[in-house]
Amino acid sequence: MRRYRYAAPLLACLLAGIARPTLARADGNLTIAMPADQEPASIDGQIDPYQLTWLLDSFVTDPLVVLDPSGHYVPGLATSWDVSPDARIWTFHLRDGVTFQDGTRFDAAAIKTNLERIADPKTASAQLKNDLGPYTSVEVVDPLTVRITYATPWVTLLEAIRRAPFWSPAALAKYSLADFQQHLVGTGPFRLGAWQRNDRIIFTRWDGYRGWNPVQTAKGPVSLSSLTIRFIGEAAVLGRMVETGDADIAYMLPQDAIEDYKGKPAYSFIIRDQSGTGLQMVMNLRHPPLNDLRVRQALLYANDENLVNDVVYDGNYAKSEGPLSNNHPCHWSGAGGVYPPDPARAAALLDQAGWKLVPGQPIRQAVGVPGVTDGTPLRLRWTVLHHKEIGEAVQQQFRKIGVDLRVEVVPGPVQIDRVGRRDFDLIYERQRSPDPYILDQIWNSRWDQPGGWAWTGFKDPQLDAVLDTLRTEPSFAKRCDAAKTAQQMILQNALQLSTLSDPVFVAFRTARVSGFDMGSEGNWFFVNNVKVTQ
Amino acid sequence: MARYVLGRVAQLIPVLLLVSALVFAIMHIVPGDPAELMLAGAEGGAITPQRLAELRQQMGLDEPLLVQYGRFVAGAVTGDLGQSVRYRVPVTGLILERFTPTLQLSLAGLALSVLIGVPLGIAAAIRPNSWLDLLAMGAASLGAAMPIYWVGLVLILLFSFQLGWFPPAGADSPAALVLPALTLALVSAGMLARLVRSSMIEILSEDFIRAARAKGIGERLVVWRHGLNNAMIPVVTMLGLQFGAMLAGAVVTEIVFSRPGIGRLVVTAILQKDYPLVQGCIVFLASVYLLVNLAVDIAYAWLDPRIRYGT
Repeated sequence: MRRYRYAAPLLACLLAGIARPTLARADGNLTIAMPADQEPASIDGQIDPYQLTWLLDSFVTDPLVVLDPSGHYVPGLATSWDVSPDARIWTFHLRDGVTFQDGTRFDAAAIKTNLERIADPKTASAQLKNDLGPYTSVEVVDPLTVRITYATPWVTLLEAIRRAPFWSPAALAKYSLADFQQHLVGTGPFRLGAWQRNDRIIFTRWDGYRGWNPVQTAKGPVSLSSLTIRFIGEAAVLGRMVETGDADIAYMLPQDAIEDYKGKPAYSFIIRDQSGTGLQMVMNLRHPPLNDLRVRQALLYANDENLVNDVVYDGNYAKSEGPLSNNHPCHWSGAGGVYPPDPARAAALLDQAGWKLVPGQPIRQAVGVPGVTDGTPLRLRWTVLHHKEIGEAVQQQFRKIGVDLRVEVVPGPVQIDRVGRRDFDLIYERQRSPDPYILDQIWNSRWDQPGGWAWTGFKDPQLDAVLDTLRTEPSFAKRCDAAKTAQQMILQNALQLSTLSDPVFVAFRTARVSGFDMGSEGNWFFVNNVKVTQ
Repeated sequence: MARYVLGRVAQLIPVLLLVSALVFAIMHIVPGDPAELMLAGAEGGAITPQRLAELRQQMGLDEPLLVQYGRFVAGAVTGDLGQSVRYRVPVTGLILERFTPTLQLSLAGLALSVLIGVPLGIAAAIRPNSWLDLLAMGAASLGAAMPIYWVGLVLILLFSFQLGWFPPAGADSPAALVLPALTLALVSAGMLARLVRSSMIEILSEDFIRAARAKGIGERLVVWRHGLNNAMIPVVTMLGLQFGAMLAGAVVTEIVFSRPGIGRLVVTAILQKDYPLVQGCIVFLASVYLLVNLAVDIAYAWLDPRIRYGT
């Protein structure tokens, strides 16, 4: 801001002297700029379903369990936890001596109050309620022990609880549901200063913090005196803000700005992928031509993901070969070899399926395809919310085998409407989590229902049985094995087309910022150890 | 005059009712269930029909459309525009919170556009078809033709990134208002300059101007007092319309300069199918637009004493 001190007097001339010089930034203030579309509607993660809300909450309150930068669940405000062999009863042992920022005690009763708030229909929790599951009881065993009991196994609780923010019950009682998000009170290193919607969120250091987050190396309050998150509407501006000193860290840098920072000694540049499904396209099997396995397989053989990456993203995007992205802990390593790029084989499969090339016509036409009038061109829709450029690159690849791909970018409501009416050919469907249960969500035919995530119409009792394991098997290793089996089955049936996975790009001046820790997932970071040098 | 103003205010009611009914109908015609959209935005967790029904009920979306609309109109009369389904806070509060930066931007944009456009138009009118006229009208045409998005980015590149004079984003200081206001002003000033020019040329060729000159009144007085005063009537009309357009159309500027504002609020609300928020914003903006135009009509009387309303 110091750079603009002369701007204010100039403005004063223009606007009748209302301006005043802006203040120079003091030591220890960290500004992180990120895209405006990341700004959540609510910053109370018990209500809002977005990843960034949980990240913002982690500045104000520590979770029970932390997914550390190496990808392991480590104790946060819970020093340890036990789970019954059938994964129905979870017991958390809490850290002693922890207080909320309002001075009240953090204990088992506070956990119970928070869990009940999340489950209360009045809260209308859009996500966390689902993730924490239909527990039958929460018991305060003693002030530092809380027990959560389920009627059926709930193996994904750690994945849910690592994101769950726990707030001061006293503060919750003081404010209404709508007002509380402006008055968050937790146990974390920062207090919520102000949330100026569509602009910024300001957090200020809490001096009572004792460094309970295991990621923090020096115990006690954090070094930063404040943390400001700025939401930037224009990608070109976001791309330059670190360079010009308007922000200390640019998080989720646009692809176009990468070259300004990558490989330059003055800057630290981080690429971190996000585990999940990648930017996959799922296929609608309910009608021709995608109800024919040969056609689906042909599309997979025609798709060359690496080429798309090189041409469109200079190789900066991450591979995602199969239903789980390559960096997912449960990714099946054989996925990349199932459908190697092979346009000749793709063409042969289309011929066999009755989609023939007619002399003089670049697009194949139906000849004796069941349920399709002869002469119908082989035309498919590629429906996405973003990353249109991937579709356009695939469009060129499909063109070579005589498939006409129509790429359409639609807003969220239209996508939901299309899915609701099952009116699509290939449609973008993505989930992010290092846990394999996301496969169950997308591929178990149980979820082929209004509001469900199983969109393709594929039904196979064998696959469903394997996927059920992902929700019931307590051992993560066994669930990973089941996930790998499921990936093979999904690929054999060619139910989805993997494209790439969009990593998060982060840049900052090496001389200015130190101690910035990215999470094991690209969509998470820690500022507990950050120091800012003027 | 008072009767005229009251009559005009009364006319606003059916217009606003029509606007709200249209917006309500459109929002229900376009595809997408907001409850499903909320859940679909989540990263993980399976959505059950029970969960969907529960959320729809909590949002009041399970009630008949007429009931939903009736509730909205009844609330709006008392200033209660309902609760945003996305933000879970009162719509009125959200609108008022965002309206201030939009109003600041529009007023600053309008002021700059007058500061640039009026002198440019006068300069062109005083010497029609001269090189000054050509230059001024060329600049005006260029300004009017430039897309706001592009102008904004060019100004950021030049004044923020190259010269470092103004911040490229935000709304935290008066300095942050300059570039967005200039962006709006450059486009609007072009149109204004052209209108001032044509209006001035017409007025300056009138008999009363000739008479004034014949009486020996100085050219400066002729132009500024007799010419400009009379030429301002169509200009004021346009300023009213421009101000309304700036209020509603500041969205691009708000996005480019990362400014909070009502334009961005409406766009997000539309994309998220936040019915109450869209309805509230549109009705609010329509009210402001109508009131501004009413003010413009009243301003005619002040500018031209021959015009009297309600008599």
